[in-house]
Amino acid sequence: MPTNKAIFNAGNSRAVAETCLPVKLFFGHVISLLGKCDYMFIPAMRSLGRKAYYCSKFIGLPDMTRALVPECPPILDPEIDLNKGRRALDRTIYDLGHHFSADKSKIKEAARQAEKAHLAYRREMSERGITPLQALDETYPDEGKPHSERVMSPVLSVAVIGHPYVVYDHYISHRLICRLQAMGVRVFTPEMVAQQALDIATTKFVGAPHWSFEADIIGAGEHYLHAEVDGIITVAVFGCGPDSMMMEMVRHRAGELRIPFLHLSLDEHTSEGGLVTRLEAFLDMVRRRRRACA
Amino acid sequence: MRIGFPHCGHAYIVAQALVQKLGTGQSELIVPPPTSHRTLDLGAKYSPVEACLPFKLTLGNLIEACELGADTLIHARGTGVCRLGYYVREQEQIIRDLGYDARFLTLDVSQHRLKSIIHLVKEVTNDASWPRIISAIRFSIAKLFTCDNIEKVVHKARAVELEKGMTNQIYREAIKAISEARTTQEVKNIAKEYTTKLNQMPKNPGADPVKVGIVGEVFVVLDPFANMDIEMELGKLGVEVERTLSLSRWVKYRLFLNYLGVDEWKGVHELAMPYLKRNVGGEGWESVGEKVVYGRNGFDGLVHLAPFTCMPEIVAQNIMPSTREDIPVLTILYDEQMARPGMITRLEAFVDLLKFRRKRRRR
Repeated sequence: MPTNKAIFNAGNSRAVAETCLPVKLFFGHVISLLGKCDYMFIPAMRSLGRKAYYCSKFIGLPDMTRALVPECPPILDPEIDLNKGRRALDRTIYDLGHHFSADKSKIKEAARQAEKAHLAYRREMSERGITPLQALDETYPDEGKPHSERVMSPVLSVAVIGHPYVVYDHYISHRLICRLQAMGVRVFTPEMVAQQALDIATTKFVGAPHWSFEADIIGAGEHYLHAEVDGIITVAVFGCGPDSMMMEMVRHRAGELRIPFLHLSLDEHTSEGGLVTRLEAFLDMVRRRRRACA
Repeated sequence: MRIGFPHCGHAYIVAQALVQKLGTGQSELIVPPPTSHRTLDLGAKYSPVEACLPFKLTLGNLIEACELGADTLIHARGTGVCRLGYYVREQEQIIRDLGYDARFLTLDVSQHRLKSIIHLVKEVTNDASWPRIISAIRFSIAKLFTCDNIEKVVHKARAVELEKGMTNQIYREAIKAISEARTTQEVKNIAKEYTTKLNQMPKNPGADPVKVGIVGEVFVVLDPFANMDIEMELGKLGVEVERTLSLSRWVKYRLFLNYLGVDEWKGVHELAMPYLKRNVGGEGWESVGEKVVYGRNGFDGLVHLAPFTCMPEIVAQNIMPSTREDIPVLTILYDEQMARPGMITRLEAFVDLLKFRRKRRRR
């Protein structure tokens, strides 16, 4: 179910106030699934690469859920830590698969297919340059309202940098992507760039990554700043630790390269009107600048 | 080379002691002025808005060191999930933008700790000989341990002192004497002298101190400016505080005993297991485990300190209420907006609650 007010209220009533909005929503989503399932699958994401880690809250998600939603069914909480190597990941997958099947080859095959599907999805977005929302619309065309708006004649190109759970969550982002598209903007997001290109850009900009999602922010920022977009918008939720540092690096770089930059800090109190005004003002500036340059 | 570094509690005494014994030849140690509101203002002005308090304070220290002419800055670096890994990257850029030409030397506090500190000492001292380095390290460690041991006595003495402020005065004198001591023997004498002084202080016969444990993020727990002298404020309210985290403990285990396979947190982690199964970076895991420890050891309450938006401590804060050991926890989040009277009011209310609970339990 897409995030809504009820889900937010449910999550917000459990978590301590300082918790960031996406994590509060996560608890809300867990609560919305209660009674509908026998197990809850909440992996503890530690690392997706060498010496690069996820934020503490990702690692603590299963344990926080256990503490805050005690009525939750048993939680399957495999720890995903690629820093320990591929063999450790395989072992984690087998341990997880044992809940469903005793047949090792079946587990292996399932994992292989899942990886294949993920890579295909990732490639679909990077090769065709579509957002995950468009990709979802095309994969499941019959499922109700489309997630994305069709852009008629884009005039401006703007890169939107942020975590997927912020940028594509309509509740948090107030349908940011759709709004931009409706305003005649061709939107670029981190997913539209191939993973390797993001990794290369990250290394060029800051060296070895410190966070597993650094390529999505720092890498995408660096990539798009050199890709002749008209402007760049970074989106972060208030209180996000990693973003408080990374967005600043991107902002600094945008200043050096003299590319229009807008940082949106979102939280549960963000008003739609305020957001729209800022977007309009930013796009006006980008347009004027483009006219002046041309 | 003029070397500057950020403050954290009495870490500067260690740095001074090292330099005093090693001599740095051409280079000079610049101790930045004690952290003040100016430091915080400077740090907050040039930091990203949402950066955490330790980032802002250490940046302020570094800027003040640069103002005094530092051209080499020492800072902690860490791999792992906390923002600490990004400090140097970001602060280097800010300092450069401010027009200072300073080079950063980093001290790895998470993985290759001993190697990194030796490398750092060798570099700063222009490759001093091993015996000299070892004797200097022993001297500075002696100072550090004396500071922390006296502090432990102070934590108990403050709660029962007859004349308010007496303990603080002796404590200040002790720290001054330690930082001025020239030999290890002198440090030992100071330790003995001031411990006796503190123990012989007139005590309030009617005192019945409430016992409170302090846990949380290491920087705000250790740095009195960052935590607004919370230990002193609690002492004024007649509270005896105890904390596990200290610089000397860090040095003892993280620099030496860990390499021999001793894990100082093993027991604490095991106690945290039912509630938090894994390390979430920073001191989050330890905070949860220590709540269990303090709860079982008959403490009256727990004060949990963290910088605002600290990720590991938010995880701990979310989990703490669900532990079976039910002792009251007061979480205090620090940022540059926070004011001391606000903290004191909260502490007073908390201590009242603890006293009330104690009375009810005894009845």
